[in-house]
Amino acid sequence: MAEKTVIDVQHVCKTYFMEGGTSQSVLKDINFQIKSGEFVAIMGPSGSGKSTLMNILGCLDKPTSGKYILEGYDIASKDDKELAVIRGKTIGFVFQNFNLMMKRTIADNVSLPLIYQKVGETERYNRAVEMLKKVNLIGYQDRPPSQISGGMQQRVAIARALINNPAIIFADEPTGNLDSKTSDEIMELFTFLNKQGITIVLVTHEDDVADYATRMIKISDGHKVYDGLRKEYSKEKEIKC
Amino acid sequence: MLTAIIKEAWISIASYKLRTFLTMLGIMIGVAAVVMMVSAGQAVQNRITDTFASMGSNLILIGPAELVTGGVRGGRGLPSVTVADVAALKTLKDVETTSYLMNAAVQAVYGSRNYGVSVKGTNPDYLAVNNWEIEDGIMFTEKDVRAAKPYAVIGQTVVDELFGLQNPIGKTIRLKGKPFTVIGTLREKGDGLMGDDQDNIILMPSTTVRQRLAGSPRPQYTGIAFVKATSEDKMELVAKRVEYMLRTRHRLKDGVKNDFTVRLMTEMVEKVRSVGFVLSALLAAIASISLIVGSIGIMNMMLVSVTERTREIGTRKALGAPNSWIMMQFLAESVLISFIGSFVGMVFGIAFSQLGGHLFGYEVPISIWSVIVSVTVAVVVGIVSGLMPALKAMRLNPIDALRYQ
Repeated sequence: MAEKTVIDVQHVCKTYFMEGGTSQSVLKDINFQIKSGEFVAIMGPSGSGKSTLMNILGCLDKPTSGKYILEGYDIASKDDKELAVIRGKTIGFVFQNFNLMMKRTIADNVSLPLIYQKVGETERYNRAVEMLKKVNLIGYQDRPPSQISGGMQQRVAIARALINNPAIIFADEPTGNLDSKTSDEIMELFTFLNKQGITIVLVTHEDDVADYATRMIKISDGHKVYDGLRKEYSKEKEIKC
Repeated sequence: MLTAIIKEAWISIASYKLRTFLTMLGIMIGVAAVVMMVSAGQAVQNRITDTFASMGSNLILIGPAELVTGGVRGGRGLPSVTVADVAALKTLKDVETTSYLMNAAVQAVYGSRNYGVSVKGTNPDYLAVNNWEIEDGIMFTEKDVRAAKPYAVIGQTVVDELFGLQNPIGKTIRLKGKPFTVIGTLREKGDGLMGDDQDNIILMPSTTVRQRLAGSPRPQYTGIAFVKATSEDKMELVAKRVEYMLRTRHRLKDGVKNDFTVRLMTEMVEKVRSVGFVLSALLAAIASISLIVGSIGIMNMMLVSVTERTREIGTRKALGAPNSWIMMQFLAESVLISFIGSFVGMVFGIAFSQLGGHLFGYEVPISIWSVIVSVTVAVVVGIVSGLMPALKAMRLNPIDALRYQ
C-alpha cells in the first residue's frame, strides 16, 4: 500500500539578506518527499544548513523560493496566524534543551499545546496523563520538571510533542544534552513510536543517533548530497556539488 | 480563551512571588495615596458644606462696606446697618426672617468657675436664621429684647465649663460683674469651619448687650445682619431687594457706592468649595506621580520578564501559540499585577483615610470615585505599561527565541 506523502519539498532555496546589500545562500534547490511512517535523519556538519531546513520543515520559517507542502498545506502562502495553527495541529517539536517550563507541573508542560486549541482544563490534564503513560512516566504528572532527570525531561518533551496526535514529529538534536545511555533510551522511544506509525524527522550530527533512522538526508553547504537508506550510506555515495 | 489566558498569566506572575509583590507595591502605594488624598479633600469639602449648612444656607449676610483705597482692600468700615434697617428688611417679599448680631467677648462667671465666652446680642429669630435649636428651657422673646431683659441662652460648652452636671436653667451667671439669668440652653453644634468651638456662645437680647456689656458709641448699629430667604433659589432676588431697600433707607444717590456689603451664603459656600476642590485635585495630582512611578516599575518588570522568558515564548510559538495569544498573555500579566495592586491599594487607602478621619475627628466618606479611579487606573496602567513588553514578546521571531541562551 502506497504511504501518504506528509512532506513535499520542491526546489526549496533559502537566502539570508544582510544589511549592506550582501546575501548568504543557505539552502540551494532542495528536493525530497517524506511519506507517512518514515523515520528520517537529517544530517550534516555545522553550518551546512540542516537547522535552516528543519526550521522551514517545522513551519518556523519560509523558503525564499520553491515550494514546501506539509500535509497538503502550501506553507509559503500561509501567514503567521495560519502557520501557528498548522504547527499546533500537525507538528510535534522535540528540542535539544527540552524547553520545559520549570515552574509548571509536568502535566502542564505536556498539555501546553492543547491550550492553543481551546481544549478544556480537565481534558488537557487527562490527555497529559495518558501521554505520560506512553513515555513511561506514570505518576509524575503533578511534579515540576526540576525533580526528574534529563532523560525523563526529554521524555516529557516527547509526550508534549505527541499530545496533539501530530502528523509528524521534528526532533532537533534530541540527545544533544544527554549521556549515551540515556540517549539510547530516548532513541529507542522514538523507534517505538515510529513503529506505531508516527513519522519522525530528526536533525543530528551523531552517527550512532542517525543509525536509529531508516532513511538519511545529508546536507552539505546548502545542497542535498545524500538521500537514501541510512544503512546503505557511505561517503562515496554522496553527490558532488 | 480569555479565562485560559488569565489563568496562564496568573500562574506566571505567581511563579515569581517576591518580584511580583514588589512591582505591585508601587501601584499599591500610588493608588492608596490617590484614594487618601481624594478622601481627605472630600472630607474637608464636606466639613465646609456641613458647617455652612449648619449656619443656614438660605442666608444673606449684610455687613459694613469694604474700605478700598487706591484699589487696595483695607478692611471693613464702620457698621452702617441699624436695628431699624433689619426690622424693615423683614417686610420684604420672600424674606422668611431677619436677625443681627452684636458681639462681645467676655469672661462668664458662675460660682467659683469662670470661662471666656463669645456673647452675641441678637433677636429671637437668630435661632431660625442660623439653624440653632433650644436643648432645654426657652429662647428670649421680642418683648424681652424691647425690655432689655438680662437673660442668657447658653451653648453646650458654656454649660459644661460653668455648670458641669448641674442644671443651668434659672441660675445666675455674671458677665463684667453684672448678673444674667440663664433661661435656656442650645443644642450642640460642634466645631466650626476653622476649628472654632461654635458651642462656646451666649445669646442675649441685642438691647441687653448694647446697654450692659458693649458700651458701644453707636448702639443702634448692628455688627452683622442676617436675612433668611424663603428658599435658596429666591436668594439672588432677595439680595437685590435688600440692596435697593438699604440704599433707599441710607439715602444713597446714584453713583455713590454702597455703605454696606451683601453676601450670599451659597456664593461663599461655592467659593470655599471650589478652593477645596482645586486643593484636593492638586493633592491627587501629586499623589498620582507615584502611580506613574509604579507603572514604570511594571513596565520594567515585564520587559525583564520578556527577556528572561524568550525561550519560553519561542517554545510556545513553536507549539502553536498565535502571536495574539502571546501578546494577550503578557498584557494580562501586567493588567493582573496592576489590578491586584490597585485593589489592595484602594483597600489600604480607604482604611488609612478612615483611620486618619477617626484620629483627626473628620468624617471621611467612602467615595465611589475612589473605586472608579482605582479600577480605571488598574486597567489603564496595566495596559499602558504592559503594551510595550507584550508587543516585544509578540514580535519575537520563534527561531531566534528558541536559540536564545
